[in-house]
Amino acid sequence: MASDAVHDSAAKWPVFPDWSGAVIERPGWSGRPVLGLSQVLVSGDFRAALSAHAPTAAEAGLWSIAPTDPIAARIARDRVLLVGSRPLDLPSGWNGTWAASPASDAWFVVDLEGPAVEHVIREGTAADLGASSPSAAILFAGVQAILYRTADRCARLHVESPFGPYLWRWLEARAG
Amino acid sequence: MQLFPCPFCGPRDETEFQFATEAGKALPEPAGDVSADRWAAYLYLKDNPKGVTREVWLHSTCGEFFLMERDTVTHAVIGSRAMGGEA
Repeated sequence: MASDAVHDSAAKWPVFPDWSGAVIERPGWSGRPVLGLSQVLVSGDFRAALSAHAPTAAEAGLWSIAPTDPIAARIARDRVLLVGSRPLDLPSGWNGTWAASPASDAWFVVDLEGPAVEHVIREGTAADLGASSPSAAILFAGVQAILYRTADRCARLHVESPFGPYLWRWLEARAG
Repeated sequence: MQLFPCPFCGPRDETEFQFATEAGKALPEPAGDVSADRWAAYLYLKDNPKGVTREVWLHSTCGEFFLMERDTVTHAVIGSRAMGGEA
């Protein structure tokens, strides 16, 4: 078989972004990957886990503002994703009434800032951001995501890591 | 875009939900005594009523199964509640 007949899938996908310097600047908003976060999935009696290991963590629902560090993003009736800028000290595995699963590599995180952030977010979902939903888990731009705010005009999106480049390209396509 | 009410999350896009089954279907037991026809009927046959129906749906983003009552003619959602009686 001639070498030029071999199917090369390398060009099938766009080049993976260099996250360390990646930024999207648009009129009214900007976006940056958030690297190095510690993320732990806590299931079961998560309030017992938070009380013991992250008592200052605020629970974040859809579009609610959680200015604390760490943040407990609620993603189900019995589950939160605990997110911190410093390593989280939770013992992995079953711990009586709750379980902790390290998930730092499982989620790609991007912060969006600026007065037009809400407009960009509304392009990705028809959910009512003002409905005070206790769950930050949402389908955003067609993929599973976690959405909350760290400040009034700063939205944070988590998507499963393999969808990171997709979300980034989706955001790059927003005009602002 | 239609909004469905998850008992935990609240109203969300219909694309976040998956139909699970009609409500009230009892699992045939004991499994060893269930005929293939009865098992197939349990798995695949549905009443599919015209009008108001009670169904089990899954909210895929939070993973919750819940009961939803809706009208198959008008698509109006009458209500929803958690399977465990919560919310």
